[in-house]
Amino acid sequence: MTGTFRIVTLALASSVAIASAAFAQDTKGTVYYLVPTLLDEFQTGSISALEMFLGQVGYDMETLNADNKADLQQTQMNDVIALSPDAIILAAVDFNALAPAVEAARAAGIPVIQFDRQITSTMSDFTSVAGTIEIGQVAAGEVERLLTERNGAIEGTILQILGDPGDPYTLDIQKGFEEVMAAYPDVEIITQPAMLWEASNAGTIVSDQLLVNPEIDIIFSHAAHLSVAVVAALESAGRAPGDIYVMSSNGAPVGLDLIRQGWMQVEVEQPLYAQAAAVAMFMDRIVAGDDLVPGEYDVIGLNSVLTMEDWGPTIKIPGAAITLENVDNPAFWGNLSPPADPIVSVE
Amino acid sequence: MTKGQRRTLEFVLDHLVWFMLIAVLAVFSAFIPNYFQPGIFANIIEQSTVLGVMSIGLAMVIIAGHMDLSVESVAALSAMVTGIFFCSSGIGIDLQLTPSWLAVPVSLSLGLAVGAAVGLVNGFFIVKVKMSAFIVTLASFIWVRGLVVAVSGGRSAQNLADEIRWFAIQRVFGLPVSAYVAILCFVVFSVMMARTRFGRHLTMIGGNEVAAYRAGIKVQKVLIITFMLSGMIAALAGWLLAIRTSGATANLGTGMLFNAFAAVVIGGVSLKGGVGLLPGVYAGVLLLSSINTAITLMRLPPEYTQVIHGLLVLAAVLLDTFKQFVRRRLA
Repeated sequence: MTGTFRIVTLALASSVAIASAAFAQDTKGTVYYLVPTLLDEFQTGSISALEMFLGQVGYDMETLNADNKADLQQTQMNDVIALSPDAIILAAVDFNALAPAVEAARAAGIPVIQFDRQITSTMSDFTSVAGTIEIGQVAAGEVERLLTERNGAIEGTILQILGDPGDPYTLDIQKGFEEVMAAYPDVEIITQPAMLWEASNAGTIVSDQLLVNPEIDIIFSHAAHLSVAVVAALESAGRAPGDIYVMSSNGAPVGLDLIRQGWMQVEVEQPLYAQAAAVAMFMDRIVAGDDLVPGEYDVIGLNSVLTMEDWGPTIKIPGAAITLENVDNPAFWGNLSPPADPIVSVE
Repeated sequence: MTKGQRRTLEFVLDHLVWFMLIAVLAVFSAFIPNYFQPGIFANIIEQSTVLGVMSIGLAMVIIAGHMDLSVESVAALSAMVTGIFFCSSGIGIDLQLTPSWLAVPVSLSLGLAVGAAVGLVNGFFIVKVKMSAFIVTLASFIWVRGLVVAVSGGRSAQNLADEIRWFAIQRVFGLPVSAYVAILCFVVFSVMMARTRFGRHLTMIGGNEVAAYRAGIKVQKVLIITFMLSGMIAALAGWLLAIRTSGATANLGTGMLFNAFAAVVIGGVSLKGGVGLLPGVYAGVLLLSSINTAITLMRLPPEYTQVIHGLLVLAAVLLDTFKQFVRRRLA
């Protein structure tokens, strides 16, 4: 019995040692990803995408969830700085509140990469975004098209459902959207917030607004999961698909399903895979402290532009409008088909 | 003060929240364009469905002299379980049963089982291990929400089976069937609290747990059942929430706990325990929904809605405090 125990213990110890050695040889280092929340499909999707792409270029990734609390994310930044990782990827809960923590990390020699949410008030080593303001602008372009299709001119009523009004992400989309729509005085925009990004709040808003503003042409929610409740409210009110146009942003799987069912006309894609792939492509150079060369790059098939901004090198991946015509395109992250070809580091 | 005047005053005080509701509805109807219409009132009742059911369980626990912070997360878990098994898109596995109407009792049973399990865990630690209800249910609030994220992977389930969605689609006298489920819950549990031995024992325990024990009431048993009931009622609220939104997201129901607490307090339930009536709680829920609807119709800037909501809740609670002051003077 004792002999068997010794053999098993030895075998286990050997396995662990071999695995550790292999692990140590295969990885170039550890990167921490500070994700703002796990209560959102885009964010959970970003974890698996970043983990996969970074793994392909030789990095391990650890994830910390901030539960949408800026103070918690600041604490996490301080903790991670103490661990001296090779880099920190930050999707900031609050675009400005995290700036001092970014500065502290960079002062400690740890490169900081902004993912999806752009911090412009301080320098970062790399920023990979689709641009929240740009998403609003793409949505506005689609509203122009849909209103023309529906009313023969760019006129009508839009119900815009924000996420939580304390979240700069939704406020930026609103800004981009309303900047473009300001050119059309015959378009009335009714704006309501879905507190805490909670879906049933969006359903409640729609139920009320349908009664007092039955002439609504388009309902634009700032996240696909809100549109699920929007559609449920429309269905409960006896509306059929297409009676009122529905659109949202972020390109989550539920949004694409609604397009296939005919309830939703447009989903503005946030190019999750490409945003994550861009981080992985440049990771070696970022960690090494090498200069990044501005210009055009092919990021998993999307033509993206790297520019040098006041806040550091920034790659912008174009967002796209998803409609019934292109909804099955596997490039859209909502179809959950990550690219088959491994990511190659930029030389 | 004459006997008649005193009786009238006590009636008003006992049902003050209903008078507040009528006054608020009258003011909103007079000053907010389009507020006064049957559809808006139907919406208010419909919007009160989930919060109302959730508030029943919370009110019962508070009347029993304890607290249950886990109701919001239990509702979310119940909604997610329903979504995973009976949604056809997202992470839903689209479980098919024969005959198809079995989806209703099976989904409801699954949800209730989840709620009962969490309630039992809460009850065990609070009653048997003598831990603070605040801490135990706060922990449940956190771990149950974590479980929602874990089982869903942060993704959502969508397209709930038609047999279950029927409760939100089918309307009787302008209201969805789900709203009648909530009203029925209030009637059943109000009767239970007022007319059954269990209800009376629960109120007595909330008033003075030691005295109730000395009077021969099985305090531990009643409390554990109460926590299980609270969990099951929260699970029913979650089931109705999944029906309302045709699925479940990982953040579904976020923030409802505070609204449920507000409704319970506005409804006249004392946080000290032993005092409170469930019909008043329903009036509190309707009052909150009326305010929410008014805020939506007034098109107020989004950043101010929470401020207004909070101030109105504070005003309602101040009025309740005034009510208690008057009652003490009458005594």
